[in-house]
Amino acid sequence: MSNEQAANAAGPRWTYGKRGYALSQSLRQLQRHKFASLITLLVLGITLALPVMLLFASSALQQLSTRSIEGESLTAYLQDSISDLDGAALADKWASLPGIRDTRYISRDEALALFRENSDIGAAVDALGANPLPGAIVVFPDSNVLRSGSVESLATTLRKSEAVERLQFDLRWVRRLQAVVSLIQLVGGMLALFLTLTALLVIGNTIRLELLRRRSEMEVASLLGAGSYFMNRPILYIGALYGLLGGVVASIIAVVGFNAIRQPADDLSSLYESTFQLSHPTPSQIGIVLAVSIALGLLGALSSMYRPSQQLTHRGSNGK
Amino acid sequence: MIVFEHVSLEYLPGRYALQDVSFTLNAGSFTFLTGHSGAGKSSLLRLVARLERPTSGDIQVGNIHYNHLRPRQEPALRQQMGIVFQDNQLLLDRSVFDNVAFPLIIGGYKYSDIKTRVSAALSRVGLADKALENPQVLSGGEQQRIGIARAVVARPKLLLADEPTGNLDPDISAEIMQLFMQFNASGVTVLFATHDQGLLDTFGYPRLQLHQGALTGAPLDAPTPRER
Repeated sequence: MSNEQAANAAGPRWTYGKRGYALSQSLRQLQRHKFASLITLLVLGITLALPVMLLFASSALQQLSTRSIEGESLTAYLQDSISDLDGAALADKWASLPGIRDTRYISRDEALALFRENSDIGAAVDALGANPLPGAIVVFPDSNVLRSGSVESLATTLRKSEAVERLQFDLRWVRRLQAVVSLIQLVGGMLALFLTLTALLVIGNTIRLELLRRRSEMEVASLLGAGSYFMNRPILYIGALYGLLGGVVASIIAVVGFNAIRQPADDLSSLYESTFQLSHPTPSQIGIVLAVSIALGLLGALSSMYRPSQQLTHRGSNGK
Repeated sequence: MIVFEHVSLEYLPGRYALQDVSFTLNAGSFTFLTGHSGAGKSSLLRLVARLERPTSGDIQVGNIHYNHLRPRQEPALRQQMGIVFQDNQLLLDRSVFDNVAFPLIIGGYKYSDIKTRVSAALSRVGLADKALENPQVLSGGEQQRIGIARAVVARPKLLLADEPTGNLDPDISAEIMQLFMQFNASGVTVLFATHDQGLLDTFGYPRLQLHQGALTGAPLDAPTPRER
């Protein structure tokens, strides 16, 4: 008598708990329909890859626009008659004005030294004998002043000072850059949103198909007294599983894509003397991606949840 | 064990699967539920199993009044009874063992309990050596035994059978019937729907006779509903 054999369960021990059963059923679905599952994961991965890349690049883009604007300044060239002492005092006074983050006084000597360092025609200046350069105050406005475009009014205020001979600033290229960056962010964000919605629909649809395949199991489970928790657990698990694996595939695609554009991007940014740099995604970014994709999977699964009150099964009835 | 009071089930406006059905079954009893196809046997069993809700009337099983039952509690109720179906409702994607273990997984039993109980249930229906087979390779009678093992594995107090011998040869039917009698002997209340005249003639258990959704024939040798 083979009691020994009968005591042997067909599956491993962990598959006989409620959660283990749900998980093993979900895994079995993936395994049994390998090709279809693989295709689904690829679709999810490719769909999510662009949003993921945008997420990875977003910190770099943010740096680009913030850093470039923070370095932006106005330069007030002072009258020749203003002494270093007066110039420094004026700089201090300005520093306390609203809308100004900081000021720095550049004396005539300093200006000459800087000019010599940075310019090929430093020798020409030597030939002049005297220092032709005026003293100057570099004004760093608050970043919100720069953003809101109220720099003009700040400039007007500063120009009123008698000590100022000429005020120079040029924010056009910063504005252009900002416009481009925010456009990229906006368009990218919209695309990311659409693609994420697509992923959501794909997951929802895949799970509904899966449920059709598992219909008989669910009906029998319902006849045997399975409640909605039991019915929904595998659905949620498979959703989370698709989300997780889709997120992994998307991350891989994104990292590969990133490496492909890293060199050209660095070249481009060095042409603009920018500090812009694409960095490798951090573990926390990857964590975010996986968390979001799992949430997407769960959300997609929610749309196909079993609702007990609507689905009193008619299986097992043979005629009235 | 089971009390029906003026239970009606309307499946379309004006069309009744069951009409004003009242009866009482005692705990530990064995009762045949008979009638032609379409007389309402399945509907009655589905009402007991709470797979269907009555249009009117009250049903009480054990000490549970179905009218006070919330939908969320219905599945748990079903876990406390065993149901055997004519078409046995086995899952062909898993072994005999896993089929019988399914209600226990749903009930959240421990693995060690599952092992013991499934083995015991399979032994009782004489299929201990087929545990790892796929149900598909077994005969109709054996498949029905798996269904019975699955129905009793959680040791229910109430066993419902919906034409369990409907597709089987007479001698196999008698064997299946013997199994139900054994469970009844160990204290399980059995409600056995069948229109198999052979079985009805051979075994003289009390009958609930349905005709076009209404109870007919002699009342059971149990107290009538009004006296309860």
